[in-house]
This record gives sequence, structure tokens and C-alpha cells, in this order.
Amino acid sequence: MAGGFRVLHLVRPFLAFLPEVQSADRKIPFREKVIYTVISLFIFLVCSQLPLYGIHSTTGADPFYWMRVILASNRGTVMELGITPIVTSGMVMQLLVGSKIIEVDNSVREDRALLNGAQKLLGILIAIGEAVAYVLSGMYGSVSQLGTGNAILIILQLFFAGIIVICLDELLQKGYGLGSGISLFIATNICENIIWKAFSPTTINSGRGAEFEGAVIALFHLLITRTDKVRALREAFYRQNLPNVTNLLATVLVFLIVIYFQGFRVVLPVRSKNARGQQGSYPIKLFYTSNMPIILHSALITNLYFISQLLYRKYSGNFLVNLLGKWKESEYSGHSVPVGGLAYYVTAPSSLADVLANPFHALFYVVFMLSACALFSKTWIEVSGSSAKDVAKQLKEQQMVMPGHRESNLQKELNRYIPTAAAFGGVCIGALTVLADFMGAIGSGTGILLAVTIIYQYFETFEKERATELGFFGF
Amino acid sequence: MVANGDAPARGSAAAAASLRRRRTTSGAGGGGSGASSMLQFYTDEAAGAKMSPNTVLIMSIGFIAVVAMLHVFGKLYRTAN
Repeated sequence: MAGGFRVLHLVRPFLAFLPEVQSADRKIPFREKVIYTVISLFIFLVCSQLPLYGIHSTTGADPFYWMRVILASNRGTVMELGITPIVTSGMVMQLLVGSKIIEVDNSVREDRALLNGAQKLLGILIAIGEAVAYVLSGMYGSVSQLGTGNAILIILQLFFAGIIVICLDELLQKGYGLGSGISLFIATNICENIIWKAFSPTTINSGRGAEFEGAVIALFHLLITRTDKVRALREAFYRQNLPNVTNLLATVLVFLIVIYFQGFRVVLPVRSKNARGQQGSYPIKLFYTSNMPIILHSALITNLYFISQLLYRKYSGNFLVNLLGKWKESEYSGHSVPVGGLAYYVTAPSSLADVLANPFHALFYVVFMLSACALFSKTWIEVSGSSAKDVAKQLKEQQMVMPGHRESNLQKELNRYIPTAAAFGGVCIGALTVLADFMGAIGSGTGILLAVTIIYQYFETFEKERATELGFFGF
Repeated sequence: MVANGDAPARGSAAAAASLRRRRTTSGAGGGGSGASSMLQFYTDEAAGAKMSPNTVLIMSIGFIAVVAMLHVFGKLYRTAN
């Protein structure tokens, strides 16, 4: 520990006030873990339906509609912020540590505690900041309409909701539940969205008589009520501006493809040095970095959109601002959509017809998506400590060697696979996202990819938990 | 400081236990753990106001109840006026 000023030490005075969940001091049985997970999920779901008290209106353009699904937030409810505070603070911290702006010695206990404290503190600060920004910017009606008391109440509710999400996430991660709260909430939100789009019983009148919003319900409704069955089928499959059966099928197809690719892996045989005859394997998956590239990519896009939209509203005539992005209100939803500039070219084309009409846009989008994902994936293994060097160190600590290779060769051998897997896996994830977007899968390509990878991870955790449980009883 | 004093022992014991467990299950699941658990931000413990998991759950349910009560009282108050 070098002397002098360290940024991390600024956190120390706050450490005592931060809420903190005890670590499990015993092994929590599988059944209990499931119960904790289900209750947390239930609390999250209730929070994302419960309207905020004191809001005046939630009408007007929603500047964050593109990231609602990914960030598990719901407009006008207590979960307005969703997991934004946690994810943002986590990413900022990882990047700060990765770029050595904050120096952390991972072998020192105090440093790790301080880093966690800093992350949590930043998360809480972001929650307060966003809550204040939302209220002051008039998302729920102007402050004079709301009254000062109500404005403060809204901020308090959002702040507490933020703390609750942080606590629930910590609860699940400290060994009381399965997986992490963040991924659980994201996956639930996306699945809810898909189910709703498929079976929603709400009717919408868009000039051709009342139509059901849900794709499957609409299919049956149209087939029963229309006299011309062929036209009814065509309508159900290809209707615009409402979820149709093609979208639903595309979603299912993407699900299946991703699950299929998850199984691709290179298995390196390893052997324990201590116990003779202990054979093991170290699988290197094709999706080595899993969904991380698309999370980082969408974080980047979100910030780009936000800045571009802000600038465009203020200085729409400026050449540079227009180069960054031009925005227009969409006629269907009232959302602003990018129609020019960089923001337009990094946005997915809305349909196949759009691809044909504007091939350069589609090409640019694909190239950008693939290269960004590959790049993020390669950066991420360095930042998160899963590069060849770290894995070699890990295996060495566990006294594992590769048969037929010298110990010093381990890193070189891993280096043949890991960077390739990371880059190529990133490209594959990017390509699947593009594919899902082009086919118009429900809930955007990013959303679906996130959901599938998370569900798959859960499946794996489940299996592993069950296996260890059985192993325990087998003794 | 007292809390800091006894905690490392527990931490290292837990680490040792997980290592032992991993070795007995033939290390098959040991791989890929770095990649699959990337969304886990708070894994270590920091010294803070400790809460048991049940406190967290009760606190969240309490929060939901408070917001619901606010809605109810808001409605009552408005109709009374």
C-alpha cells in the first residue's frame, strides 16, 4: 500500500451508513434459495406495477423508451428507475478500476470492502440524482402543479425503491438466492413483455375496427370474425404497428438459435496435481463473455441517444449537432425516433422493407454492431479478470495442470483459445442481435439476447446447485 | 475494528470450503465461472449496517405497504375535500 492520497479512502466515512446484507453463515439449502428468489421476484413485480404516489401525469414523450425493457423499469411506477442505478454504478466502477484510475489491490480485504462500499454509495447517489432530475424536468407534471410536498414524496419513493433494489440484489448474490438480482429482473421484465405482446387482451382501434394487441389472440379473433379467411391470416401475420404472428415466430426462432449456440465450446482437459486420477475439464464457451458485449453496446447507444436528443432539442440548426443525430416524433407511439446523423445509422432498421429502401443504413448498422461487440468482448475479458493470464493463475491456484503441457505453457495454451473465443463470440452475439432486429422479434434484438442468455445461465446454476446438493447427500 | 478482526478468518474459511467443494466435485464446474457471473457486483462484504435477509424482505414489503397507504389516504383526503 503506497502512502499518499487514494480515492477509495474517501468512501470510508460513509461505510457505516450503507445498508448491508449479512453473508450466509451456513449453507442455504436449495429449496430455501428458491423461496428467497421467488419472494424477491414477487416484490420486484409488485413494485413495477405499483404507481408512484403524487404524480400528476405521465403523458408526453418518454425520452427513455428504448431502454425501459433492458433496464427493467416501468413508467410511472415505483420501479421507474429500475436497475439503472446499480448497473450504471457497477459499470463506472469496473471501468475506473480497469483503467487504473482507482487503484485496488484485490488481495487486500479492506480494499475490496471499500470498493464495494464505493459502488453502493455511487448507486445510491445516482438514484437520488436521477429521481431529482426526473421530478425537476417535469416528467410527472411541473413542480408547481405537483406542489413541493408531493415532489419531495416522489423523490423519496424513488430513492427508497433504489435502495430496495440494491438490497434485493445483494440478498440474492450473498448466497441466499440463485444468480444475481439484476439479471433476474431484466429477464423477468423481457419475458413479461413478450408474453404480453403475444396474449394481450387489450383492444386498440387503429382505423380498421377494434383489434386485439396480442398477436395470438388477434390471430384467432381475425380468423373467427372475418369472412375472408385468407385475408384474415395475412392480416394476422403481417399487420404493421402492432405485434403480429411473424414477430412472435421470429422471437421463438431467435430463442432456439441462441440456446443451440450456447452449447458450442472447446473443452480443455485438466488434471489435479495433488490427487492422482482426478480428471477435470475446463470448458471455454463460444459465448465466453456471454451477454456482456450487448449490455455495454446498449449502454453506449443509450448515452449517445441521450446526448444527441438533448443537443438536438436545444440547437437543432447546428451542423455538428445534426451530424450527431436528427430526431422526429414517430406517428404511432409519440416517441422520438432518429431520422438522420450518426444516431440514425447506429439504430436498427425497423423492418426488412426498410433495409431494402436504405441498404447503406443497414450495412453501416451491421458493421458497427459486429465490430463494437467484438471490441467490447475483448476489452471485457481484460477488465473483468477472465483473460488467459487470470484463468491460468486461477487454475494454478487450484493445482490444476494440463496433461502433456508444462505448467509455464498453460497460459500460452489458454491464449490460443480465449481471445479468439471472446472476439468471435462477441461477433456471434452481435450477429444474432442484428438478425433478431431484422426479423422484427418482439422486445428488440438486444432484449431477447439478454433474456435468453440470462435464462440459460439460470438453467446452468440450477443444474449445478442440484448436483452439489446431491453430492452432499451422497457423502 | 472488532468486526474487521474476526471477519477475515471467516472469509478465508469460506474460500477454503469452496475450494474443497470444487475439488470433490472434480472441478467440472470450476471453469467459466469468471465469465458467467459477470453481473455480480457486490460479492464481498463491506462493514456496514448489517441486516439479515428477512429484514430486507420485510423492509421491502413495508415500503410497498407505505406507498399503498399513501394512495389510499390520498384518495380519502381528496374526496373529503
